[in-house]
Amino acid sequence: MPRQVVLLDAGLGNLGSVERALAQVGAAVLRTSDPEVVAAARTLVVPGQGAFGDHTDEIVAGPLGDAIRAAIARRVPFLGICLGMQLLFEGSDEAGGRRGLGILPGRARRFPEGMTEPPPPGYDGPSRPLKIPHVGWNDVSPEGEHYYFVHSYYVEAAEADHVRWTCTYGDVTFPAAVVHENIVGCQFHPEKSQRAGLRFLRAFLLGGWK
Amino acid sequence: MLKRRIIPCLDVRDGRVVKGVHFGGLRDAGDPVAAARLYDEQGADEICLLDITATAEGRATFVDVVRQVAAQIFCPLTVGGGVRRRSDVARLLDAGADKVAINSGAVINPALVEDVAARYGRQCIVAAVDVRRLPPRRAHPGSPAPAAPAPGEPTPDGPAPQPSEHDDAPVYEVVIQGGARGTGLEAVAWCETVVRLGAGEILLTSMDRDGTKRGYDLDITRTISRAVPVPVIASGGVGELAHLYEGLATGGGEADAALAASIFHFGLHTIPEAKRYLAGRGIPVRPSSP
Repeated sequence: MPRQVVLLDAGLGNLGSVERALAQVGAAVLRTSDPEVVAAARTLVVPGQGAFGDHTDEIVAGPLGDAIRAAIARRVPFLGICLGMQLLFEGSDEAGGRRGLGILPGRARRFPEGMTEPPPPGYDGPSRPLKIPHVGWNDVSPEGEHYYFVHSYYVEAAEADHVRWTCTYGDVTFPAAVVHENIVGCQFHPEKSQRAGLRFLRAFLLGGWK
Repeated sequence: MLKRRIIPCLDVRDGRVVKGVHFGGLRDAGDPVAAARLYDEQGADEICLLDITATAEGRATFVDVVRQVAAQIFCPLTVGGGVRRRSDVARLLDAGADKVAINSGAVINPALVEDVAARYGRQCIVAAVDVRRLPPRRAHPGSPAPAAPAPGEPTPDGPAPQPSEHDDAPVYEVVIQGGARGTGLEAVAWCETVVRLGAGEILLTSMDRDGTKRGYDLDITRTISRAVPVPVIASGGVGELAHLYEGLATGGGEADAALAASIFHFGLHTIPEAKRYLAGRGIPVRPSSP
């Protein structure tokens, strides 16, 4: 029997690739935007691309936010991806300051402007500027694998215990993966991270992240 | 640290890879789906599909190709070609593209970039910018794009045009419709504008170098990489692995990603070979899976 995974379809980005990646590692995926189905999920995945804004305000303050809180309170395995992970925290500086679900303590901050990459040894030209968003493959510590990231905001977690993997971009070291009880969150996109991403999703489904 | 990306690009016409692809191990070398799957398995950091079809039927076929490719790969997929309206962007994202590249459509209607970036997020809007180097002294963006000789090559009129001491830097003009039309837009200014409008990335192609196998135009790649706050993908002219290095190296093109077509399609090099070569020369790349 494949494990049934409820995939929250709340207009937070394309779900197709997350759905396909979960199916690839053996999940039976049920896409839904129905708060009752979300609240009753036995495994819940909240993906997300893009930004905090009016739309996330509606989720946080509405029935879907309650449903996510209810599922998490029932201790079912939960995975938040990218914006879906950031939503777990108290809020974001994005779009004039927005609220999150407040399940984990901490806040999303924007990468600072003007970061540069140290020039290679022997090169005396100007430093190369680092771009925002942080787009591409970066390695996580201590695990060491590369995952695909796309984001301009990162989470500043208030509890160091929640941070399982970190990633560094310029001067900022931020949580790449957070774990707390039944909650897993990843800043990267496992569905776009080839074999490493599929391994990550499989480990989540098998409960290897508890 | 963040790695530089290697992006194989497939030009697609009427559902088939153009110029042909000569991999070993593929039964149908012109099939973009099979090619994309192979690149994904080799550890390409991202895959780019460009529609170079001119007909409505071809466009519909392309969306189908995007859907099939997206269903086969587990890395980011950038698609472009003929994107003129919001509905074109919506259709490609819906088919499974992660990012949509807008080229002529952005020049003709800059509001399109603003509109789709606001709607779908900057991270999925790529401005594809094709540029041509103007010869010194005739650098008048606005006139029809002259057939600019590649730098360092002799011209019919005499010696190769070299920037004189009085010229600060060569001037580049944005061209559209596959290089058929000049636009009067200076390249750096246009890139800055299109980023301000909402593009999250620049895919910069040198028309002078495209297809020449002589390497990227490093001057304009570096200039734009330094000028814009978003990632720049170098494109046009890769004929050997050294060109990938030049495009990415500090003091070279300084691009965030290197796009190439023929060196991968013709089986000249594999993605893992390219990664090993770059890593050996100090470029931070993600190692390919074994």
